[in-house]
Parts: sequence; C-alpha cells; structure tokens
Amino acid sequence: MTVTETRPGAAAGSRPAPNPAQRLISIPAKIAKSPHSARVLFPIAMFAVWLLSLMAVEEIWPFAVDVLPTPSEVGAFMWDEFITDTLARKNLYETFFISLRRLLSGFAIAMVLGTALGLAMGLSRATNAFCHDWTMAILAMPALAWALFNSIIFGFDDRGPILTVILAGIPFVIVNVREGVRNTPRELFDMARSFQVPQSKVIRHVLVPSLMPFMFAAARYCFSIGWKGLVIAEVFGGQDGAGWTIKFWYDAHRAHGVVGYAAFFVIFAILFERLVFEPISRRAFRWRPQLRTEVVEEAFGEHHEHYGEDEPARHG
Amino acid sequence: MTTTDTHTAVDGAAPAQRVTEEDLARQARRKELTSRWFWRILSYVAVLTVWEFALLDIFSFLRGSPLDPKLLPGPSEVVATFFEIWGEGTMPAAFQATLTRIAVGFGLSFLIGAMIGILMQSKWFEGFFKDAVLISLSAPGLIWVLITAIIFGNRPLGPTIAIILTTFALVTVNVSEGIRALPKELLDMAKSFRVSVLKRNRQIVIPHLAPYLFTGLRFGFSIAWKVTVLTEVFSSSEGIGFEMRISAVLFDMSEFLTWILAFFFFALFLEKVVLEAIERRYFRWRQAVTAT
Repeated sequence: MTVTETRPGAAAGSRPAPNPAQRLISIPAKIAKSPHSARVLFPIAMFAVWLLSLMAVEEIWPFAVDVLPTPSEVGAFMWDEFITDTLARKNLYETFFISLRRLLSGFAIAMVLGTALGLAMGLSRATNAFCHDWTMAILAMPALAWALFNSIIFGFDDRGPILTVILAGIPFVIVNVREGVRNTPRELFDMARSFQVPQSKVIRHVLVPSLMPFMFAAARYCFSIGWKGLVIAEVFGGQDGAGWTIKFWYDAHRAHGVVGYAAFFVIFAILFERLVFEPISRRAFRWRPQLRTEVVEEAFGEHHEHYGEDEPARHG
Repeated sequence: MTTTDTHTAVDGAAPAQRVTEEDLARQARRKELTSRWFWRILSYVAVLTVWEFALLDIFSFLRGSPLDPKLLPGPSEVVATFFEIWGEGTMPAAFQATLTRIAVGFGLSFLIGAMIGILMQSKWFEGFFKDAVLISLSAPGLIWVLITAIIFGNRPLGPTIAIILTTFALVTVNVSEGIRALPKELLDMAKSFRVSVLKRNRQIVIPHLAPYLFTGLRFGFSIAWKVTVLTEVFSSSEGIGFEMRISAVLFDMSEFLTWILAFFFFALFLEKVVLEAIERRYFRWRQAVTAT
C-alpha cells in the first residue's frame, strides 16, 4: 500500500517544479487527500456523530437524555478508572490481569490440544473423518452457549471461563494446523530423505517453517475468539474480570461506565495486536518478507480455510 | 500405484486391462469413501454414547464434586424435551422472532458493509474506514450488545445496531479482498474510454465482486445469528436467546440444551445447505472463484 502511495508523490517531485505559490496552495489539498489524514479524520467524524445524535435526541425525546452517555462523562469515567479510582470491586489493572490470566491458561491448553489434534487429523484420514464433523460443530456453536452451560456446571469459578476459552478457540487451532500439515511441501521431505538429512533437522528446517504461518494464524484466531468467549463467560459465570465488570456497570445502569469499559476492551485488543502479534509475526516471518502482510490480514477475515490454497497462486 | 497398472496394461491384452484400471480406481475411491463413512458414523455413535453415559462423570471429575444428573441431561432426554416444547407450540414463534431480527439486522449490515467495501476502492476511504473495520473485527460483540441495550432498552433498534456493528466488517473485508483482485486492465480500459463511474461499477466491479459478496454473506451470517441470540439474552422478551436465558436462570438444562441445539441445527442448515446450494447454483459458470 505504502509503495503505491509514495509513487505519485515521487513522480511529482521529479517533475519541473511549479512556481512556489502554486506549491503552497497544493500542500493542504495533498494533506486532505492523503489516506493518513482520512484515518485521523475517522475518530473526529465519529465524535461529531456522537455529539450530533446527542443534540438530536435532546431535541426529540428530552426525557431519554439522562440515559445517553456524553463524551465528557465517558472521558471522566475512563480517567477515574485509569488512575484506579473506581466504584467497582477491583480496579482496571487487576480486572484485566485476572481476565488475561484466564485467557492465557485457556489459550495455552487450546493451542497444545488443538495442535496435537490438528496434526493427527492432517496425517491420518481416519482421524480426520472421525473428528471433522465435531470440530465443525464446536466451531459453529456460539460462545454464549458454552458460557451459560459452563456457568451452570462450574458456578462462579475460574474453570468455567477457562473451559469456554478452550472450547471457543480450539476448533480454529485444529483447522489451521490441519491445513498446515496438508500444505507441507512433500518434495522437500523426499529430498531430505534421499540426502539422508537427520530427522531432527528435517523437523526443524522443513516441517516447522512450513507450519509456522498456519500456527501463527491459529494462535491469533484462538486468542481473539477466546477473548470474545471469555468476556461472555465472565458475564454469566464470574465474580471478577473484564466481562463481569462491564456487566457490573450495565446492572448499575451507568451508560457512561458501559461505554467507557467497552473502550477499554477495544484498547486492550488493539494494544495486544500491536505489541504482541505484530512484533512476533515480524520476527517469525523475517525470512519470507512478501508473506508477512498477507498472513496478518488473513488472520482477521474468517476465510482461513482457503488461505493455504490461495497463497502459492498469489505469490507465484 | 496407477503407474504400475499402466505398465501391466502395456504388457497384457489392452482392452481387458483398461477396464481393470478404471475398476481399480473406482474401487479405491469406494474403499476410501466407505472408510470415511465408517469413521464418521463411529464418531457419532461414540460421542452420543459418551454424552449419554459418561459425560456426567467427566464433568463431576473436572468439577471436583459430584454433579446433579439434572444439570447434564443426555441426548435422549434432550430429544424428549424437544418434542415436549414442540407440542406446546412456542417454538415457531421464538424462531420467527429471532429470524426476523437476523434478517433485518444482517440485511442492513450486509448493505452497509458492501457499500463501505466498495468505497474502500479509493485510498482515502480505505484510510477513513480502516480503524472502523479493525475495531469491529477485534472487539467482542458483547460490548455493542450491552451499549445498545443500555441506550435503547427493549426497542428493536438496539439489537439491529448491535448486529450491524459486529458483522459489517466481515462483509467489508471480503469485498475489499475482491476489490484487490479486480481486473485492473478492464477498469483501465473503461476509464480510458470514459465509461462513467456508475456504469463502471455496475458492469465491471459488481459482477466481479459477486462471489466475494457471497462469501461475506456466509461468514457474516455465521456471526450474525450468534450476536442476535446474544442481544436477545439482554434486551428482548422473545426469541431463542430469551428462552435460553429463562431456562438457564431456572437451571432447566434439558430445556436450555433443546433451545440452543434446535436453533444451532437450523442455523447450520441455513448456512451449510441453503446458502451453499444457492452459491453453487449461481456461480456454476465460474468454478475457479467459487472454489474458495
């Protein structure tokens, strides 16, 4: 993307320069047209929509306005939470730490079990036939069902949310790892065998690198779906954690609390994306630079299944 | 295996060998199919047996204390409850309520998502909507459900907005993926022959995008029905989500499982059978793209 962006700019620079006045005029236009300023404009536009809809509601239904959160209320709420001055039972950092601990334990279990099952399903047709339908069924089950079910079975306990994370995340790991095994380059294995490369070296240099993008996509899916499942599980079967706390503000009927906490959820997800997954993907795929951006984007849409087939075609 | 066959075919009497080769291939395929179905059916039998007889013990073990058998009914009891609820006649009404909500919410979401995706052809709009798509994909649907529930209460507008906010990005992502694969030469030619923007969109962009739109439709639907059920848990007095919440609150697990499983199978049927059949029918002429 950035390449195509800079190209017209570079072309303009090499052209014989127009007179300075003309150039001065064209600068604001260029800034207004750049995608980066559009990106900055988006939150501003959303803020304007928020204020306008508040004004409109005040005009039409004056009685409803006390429910609607104003930006200043939400801002004040978020600042109070930020400096740990809160009415909820646990402060912001403790709350997200508790949720993160649950998420990571569920995530780790799902990755280990899912990788094992995915490998087995990729290698053996019988295992695949045995597990395929049930994997798909678990994949299609809403996290809400797991959350309610686990909350009834385990009560207000850590195990309910963790089991929900596992059940929500594991099918994505299985499916991705299975695709990865099916996509390993057979020729490389054959060559390694005929040149008598030791097994450990084959695993390190052939199997692991070719599984890597799939494992990475699996981890990312498992994490984001697990997080979505976890907050629902905490709403119904928790006594602390991020999901419980947003429900606390909901039950207290504080709209600004709900919106402010929702903003923390979004910030949490984006921080994780920027600080954890992007650096890891940059490190893991340093050796194949052209793949990096593709994998990152594939991780978001739900079309992971055909990603393996698309990839070679796209890169030739 | 087939190569050795052709060798023997060259050696032996040609016509007879040809038949056996075909037979062998067919036989191998049949054998594979039988084995696949064998394992598949075995898996159904195994899972249902474990659920009926052993799941209670497994969960008691996980829980560390014995579990009341009422909290984990087996499949036979769930089926019995299904017929009981069906007999009461409340099920079609609940299905109808939920399906209407999905149709309205996801219909709007699909239109908005596709429109944003098409707008994202331009770099400027791509920059503008980038964060919206990112947030919609990464934030849990729960937050939109709670925000709209607290603002709109039981009014139908709340769930609709929540469904739109959770699912539009899936359509947008697929559409913009399709746009990245647009036939650039065709568009360039249309531009150099001064074909108007509207006509260009209608005659080149949209037909090319149709399969991607369909993929977006399927993925979007699979998320939309889950969010719809979630909105009903918080801000509704009818529909599947509402019934699920009531039965969970009453600790009536067999009713709870019946409601969710009934709608689960229905949604799966719509997603995997109906939508896929329609897709196959409409895009028979471009197999390569539909293969995704």
